[in-house]
Amino acid sequence: MKHSKKHLDFEVNLIPFIDLLSVSICFLLITAVWLNVGSMNVKQAVGGQAQEDTKKSPLVWIRMSAQGDLDLEVQQSSLVPASLRKLRVAQQDKKVNYDGLEKALSSLKQVEPSLNTGLIQPTASTSYEDIIDVMDKLKKSGMTDLGVSPL
Amino acid sequence: MISDGILKASVLTGTLEGHSIITPRGAKLKRQIAADLLLTALIDAFSILVIFLLMNFSSTGEILMIGKNQELPKAHLADVLERNPVIKIDENKIYVEDKLVDANTITAELLDLRKKYQELHPKEEFPGIATIQADRRVKYEFLNQIILAMNQAGYSDIKFAVVVK
Repeated sequence: MKHSKKHLDFEVNLIPFIDLLSVSICFLLITAVWLNVGSMNVKQAVGGQAQEDTKKSPLVWIRMSAQGDLDLEVQQSSLVPASLRKLRVAQQDKKVNYDGLEKALSSLKQVEPSLNTGLIQPTASTSYEDIIDVMDKLKKSGMTDLGVSPL
Repeated sequence: MISDGILKASVLTGTLEGHSIITPRGAKLKRQIAADLLLTALIDAFSILVIFLLMNFSSTGEILMIGKNQELPKAHLADVLERNPVIKIDENKIYVEDKLVDANTITAELLDLRKKYQELHPKEEFPGIATIQADRRVKYEFLNQIILAMNQAGYSDIKFAVVVK
């Protein structure tokens, strides 16, 4: 009897795999979105809801001046002392002092932990970017309900 | 070289054996010039690429069409962008769902959108949400007219489109 020398190993044809992967890579590269776009959710600070429906929860008004100064005023809170009810964050190099705002908000949050509402009142010359940056700082300090007031 | 290596000991011989060696000169009459590539490494690299691209795949990117001259503001803490009516400010022009409007007609256009929504969803309450897409350098004076129009048309929730830092 003759024993034929047959190789037991066999190779998987890898070409279709490579084709499939190449097509997948091309498709994903073409459809990829490299810019991660999100949204900053805000409510109308004035006229969005009837006054009877609005809860009397603590809130802070942030009034932005054209020079970059910020005036903070806490309302509807019994825990915040009179000295902290009105704060002013002065501008820094004609720009909004975001570090100062962060410190002011964290001090307010320590005194009044239920302070979750922040309303922003910009001026006509305030840039959109500054408003978004202030909102970002408010969110960072733990405020969930943000609002913007019309002029 | 390979025949002396560890592959020799395995039951199924290695993929290189008998394939990828260019036959030395003078060994045989027929010269074997063709050399197989190692495709396994290539497939590994491709698989990693596909997995990486799939993980970064975003289906929300098509909601907004951002123009060349438009630069959205950046924010650290942004929420996921959802499909809502988009009000776009591009080169001092206002577009509601890609339809050019002005300060006088924007309220009517938003009311028209609201009417269409209520016709399509008669049992649902109108959510009153719209997305504002504007350049980061736009002044609030310009944004104010949109916010006022939204207020008048019953859109109480505003979503400012931002780029997540």
